[in-house]
Amino acid sequence: MKRQGLVSIKVALYGMDPRSHKTMELYLKGPCRGIAEVVPEADAEIDIIDADFATAGEILQTRRQQTPERPILLLSLEFLKIENTYFVQKPVNAEQLTAVLSKIVSSKKPKQLIEPEQPVTTLGVSPAAIQDAIPQENTDTANPSPKATKSRKTFANNEGGYTAFLGTLSDIDFSDPEQLQRASFDAKSHLLGYVLSAFKVACHQGKTQQLNSIWKPILIFPDTRQIWLDADDKQLRVFAGIEQNHTFAGKISLLAVDAAISKIGLAADKFQDIDVFIWKLTIWTSKGRFPASINLQQAVYLKHWPNFTRLLLTPDAMRIAALLLKDPRTPLQLANLLNIKPQYVFAFISACNSLDILGQCQRSADFMVVPEVPKPSKKQNLFSKILNKLRGD
Amino acid sequence: MSQYKIIFTGPVGAGKTTAISSISDAPPVKTDAAASDMTKNRKSSTTVAMDYGVMNLEGGEKIHLYGTPGQERFDFMWDILTNGGIGLVLLLDNTRADPFQDMRFFLEAFDKFIANTAVAIGVTQMDVSSKPSITEYHQQLQTLGLKPPVFSVDAREHNDVSLLVQSLLYSLDPGLVGE
Repeated sequence: MKRQGLVSIKVALYGMDPRSHKTMELYLKGPCRGIAEVVPEADAEIDIIDADFATAGEILQTRRQQTPERPILLLSLEFLKIENTYFVQKPVNAEQLTAVLSKIVSSKKPKQLIEPEQPVTTLGVSPAAIQDAIPQENTDTANPSPKATKSRKTFANNEGGYTAFLGTLSDIDFSDPEQLQRASFDAKSHLLGYVLSAFKVACHQGKTQQLNSIWKPILIFPDTRQIWLDADDKQLRVFAGIEQNHTFAGKISLLAVDAAISKIGLAADKFQDIDVFIWKLTIWTSKGRFPASINLQQAVYLKHWPNFTRLLLTPDAMRIAALLLKDPRTPLQLANLLNIKPQYVFAFISACNSLDILGQCQRSADFMVVPEVPKPSKKQNLFSKILNKLRGD
Repeated sequence: MSQYKIIFTGPVGAGKTTAISSISDAPPVKTDAAASDMTKNRKSSTTVAMDYGVMNLEGGEKIHLYGTPGQERFDFMWDILTNGGIGLVLLLDNTRADPFQDMRFFLEAFDKFIANTAVAIGVTQMDVSSKPSITEYHQQLQTLGLKPPVFSVDAREHNDVSLLVQSLLYSLDPGLVGE
């Protein structure tokens, strides 16, 4: 049944019991006309994972760590869009599976077009919630949207590593002025809102608080302005992006705890400065959207510079800060004046808003006059050279 | 070819010499001597004239990095040093008795230069003494009507010093674009 003149693709199967494993092996040989043959994992070109398997998240994580360059194909009853993976819905259709496998092979270097992304983790939330949290532009499926794929490539090429900081969203076209106006997020619907609220309570009461949720507990120490969380940034980034539902909200609790007792046995390297934590949590929640509490039509002002040597530096953050400290401006004025993507401004004002160093002009006088455009320095050429030197070192 | 310079200033032990070393292309010329006055309580040697480093830019241009001597008795040199400077980097030691007083002193001493250029403030030793906080520095600066960048800085870290100098450049020209 093997197709003439074509070499079988070497695949490894994961998350399948012996019966399923054998069935898939035969299916690839038979209905799929030998497009692929099952080999030991060390020899495989593609990993195929049954995403409905109990420990599929862990398997995915392991595969990404061990063979980061190897394409991964997920099979699931639920429609999945997970970054850096291909997908075929179960029950598997031979035509569809063949098409996706062929597509993977025909892509010379598929991974180069896709930014590194965090693995799926078993966070105790529904697959649908995980799916929502994963930036969807960088996902390839059996029926990929040509528009989404194109924009992903453009974005990745233009922005390089910064994409990994902001994340991407396929449901918002930031080049569409109408969609841009609606590209907001509500912190209260995310972990961020609960953390901000818990931090306020901790400061108000002057007591350490433990924020419990369906995820890992977060300890907040107002005296030292620190938080403690037993999770790395990759995990935090995934959870930050998940829009919480009523189930999540129902499991949230905040407990005052004794600071001295609660610190016993805590890993020292899991303590983080609260500002640093809130800043990055906001950026990963925002994904280039602006806070719903900010009116895009009104100017915003910055109270002071963020402490950039200790914060996750987002694209053009220093330029935005410098310009905003000269005069209040609307977020879109900032983007236009600096000729940068609105997402960069939105992510920045979101993070500043969470740290309470950003305000919105309310007086009518603030809208009377459009602030002057700063004149370029006569030494701009020299400054650019210094900048390049500092960044290039 | 024009000669440009960035001035590093601050009290004794704030890390001026180290900061210049972090971004200088050539080993900085140090003019340290054994401390014999009150300075010896803070460090064994101190800069008695000035430190000098250089950044070589594309096209053959150079940026000279000058560190002022920390002791106030050398403040007659400061006007000379700032002549032709493009901006000021003020480093403050957070373990000193009154860092705010230090800050006010240097901002006042260089007020004309700052008014014509810009200042970026780096607070060192925050790992040893976290108080006052960066927010409290901003509150103090607000009373002076200033909003300069204020960053926690480890003067030994190139990235910290680099970001501080970058913030100085963006303060001078927010429209600045690197390659």
